[in-house]
Amino acid sequence: MDKLREDFLEMISFENVQWDRVWEETVATLYMTGYATLFTFILGLIVGIILFLSGRSDGRFIRVIYLVTAFLVNLFRAVPFIILIILLIPFTSEIMGTIMGVKGALPALILSSAPFYARLVEIALKEIDKGVIEAAQSMGANIWHIIFKVLIPESLPALISGITVTAIMLVGATAIAGVIGAGGLGTLAYMVGHTRGQPDVTLVATIAILIIVFIIQIVGDLTSKAVDKR
Amino acid sequence: MIEIKDVSKLFKTKSGDVQAVDNVSIQVDKGEIFGVIGYSGAGKSTLIRLLNGLETVSSGDIRIGDDYINALSGRALRQKRQKVSMIFQHFNLLWSRTVEQNISFPLEIAGVNRRERKKRVKELIDLVGLTGREKAYPSQLSGGQKQRVGIARALSNEPEVLLCDEATSALDPETTDEVLDLLLDIREKLGLTIVLITHEMYVIRKICDRAAVMENGRVVEIGEIKQLFRNPQSSVTKRFVKDDIDDEETNVSFEALREQFPNAELVKLSFVGSKSKTPIVSKIIKKYDVDMNIIAGSIKHTNKESFGHLHVTIDTSPSVLEAITKDLAAENVKLEVETHG
Ligand SMILES: Nc1ncnc2c1ncn2[C@@H]1O[C@H](COP(=O)(O)OP(=O)(O)OP(=O)(O)O)[C@@H](O)[C@H]1O
Ligand SMILES: [Mg+2]
Repeated sequence: MDKLREDFLEMISFENVQWDRVWEETVATLYMTGYATLFTFILGLIVGIILFLSGRSDGRFIRVIYLVTAFLVNLFRAVPFIILIILLIPFTSEIMGTIMGVKGALPALILSSAPFYARLVEIALKEIDKGVIEAAQSMGANIWHIIFKVLIPESLPALISGITVTAIMLVGATAIAGVIGAGGLGTLAYMVGHTRGQPDVTLVATIAILIIVFIIQIVGDLTSKAVDKR
Repeated sequence: MIEIKDVSKLFKTKSGDVQAVDNVSIQVDKGEIFGVIGYSGAGKSTLIRLLNGLETVSSGDIRIGDDYINALSGRALRQKRQKVSMIFQHFNLLWSRTVEQNISFPLEIAGVNRRERKKRVKELIDLVGLTGREKAYPSQLSGGQKQRVGIARALSNEPEVLLCDEATSALDPETTDEVLDLLLDIREKLGLTIVLITHEMYVIRKICDRAAVMENGRVVEIGEIKQLFRNPQSSVTKRFVKDDIDDEETNVSFEALREQFPNAELVKLSFVGSKSKTPIVSKIIKKYDVDMNIIAGSIKHTNKESFGHLHVTIDTSPSVLEAITKDLAAENVKLEVETHG
């Protein structure tokens, strides 16, 4: 009982915490999450639009495109993140030049979350009233008009709330990646907090992560609401 | 302007084939408002969607202006669609755009520059009577206003043909009238050709010049509105006309009337395509200086003529009545004496 009490007191004493180090790792987490979210958004949006458009058509060739895309999406979603990191090591070291640090973590982060976001995009696009797409076609819109003037603006609230969920998921993923050396708050909590037996550091890292998550959620909700004119 | 020749459309579905349009031939003249009426599933929507290539024909030809729609594809078809625009039952506006941005949408597609777009949008907003609502979003508009936006949007690229798919079916009677009046107005101002489909005879008789009646994918009857009302051939047309005029004989208690007007003639005036703009009854009253008392009746107006009947009493001599009968006949109103005084 006394041991537990001691641990707890140490945890809230913050005596081991190096605040400049905490700030450094927070920035690293933000950096990883930010870049991963940006690329996930772009890649997921493209793949989601391909899924949506090819899923609507009944031409044979387009059907094949749909099936291949859907297969890849399901595949990358099925592989657990931690295993994906390991599988991607050769690829990562080839294109990023390293498998460590923030740069080394990005490919796995993006490739694990983009398929998830692509599905969210597909669902969002399916919610668009078919009549509106047809109206655009009846005015002579081509495929690019439809993508940029109808599909994206008309599903924007759902695209934003989707990327919010994905970004929060990515914060969690960066923490996992941190355990195997990606840097950021995950590394801080594990390498310093856990292995050196400094629970106060772990607590501070956790609080920093929670603050990041809440801020993402609030900004996402407000933006989604602001663009929704329905 | 529009020539639909031997057009059929077959949908192949898992649960079997559907012959949605079956060997239809229709010609529509320039500047005409042509109606297509039929019950649900008759194939009206499919037919109108063939006209702008949203569906492709299984067989037959569709010519609009100088182009065969069924021979166009890709860029040429998209270009043609700018001149054959469409309005919809559920308006199909983009909720993410304001009124003026919605109207500007087809202009953006056509690659019109910003200055020109702005000017054009303003004209169209004035034309459809939405001045002051430019910055509103569709969710802030009533159904009638939304359809006005739909119409303005459809007119933005100065089309030759306007296709209306149940454009008033989601609106209440009063708003329906407003939208139909707007359609008449723009036909007048812009001289475009309108094809509209509906399941309401009211819409047909209010604004159409000619109409086709569809059943099971086929056109069962086609002609001028007065001809469809005066002399409907097929059973579907008869049902539409009857439902519209409500042809039940008006129940008039002759006994009671007899007591009230012991010396008067009780007559029935039947309007079969009479000129609705002339005040026929009041002209007769003035000319012969007679008393006429309207008992009951039901009259429907097309954009040119009137149909239906009136029961009236006339207090006059047989010779005058004969003269009146002749005058009325000249105006296409039939006078029948129901009882003698
Ligand atoms: N894309 C499609 N695939 C298969 N069948 C279809 C398709 N579109 C329409 N049909 C069928 O074609 C027939 C005619 O439909 P259509 O929508 O043209 O009728 P409508 O006269 O417009 O009816 P409503 O008044 O209900 O709108 C119906 O039996 C319908 O089920
Ligand atoms: Mg229909």
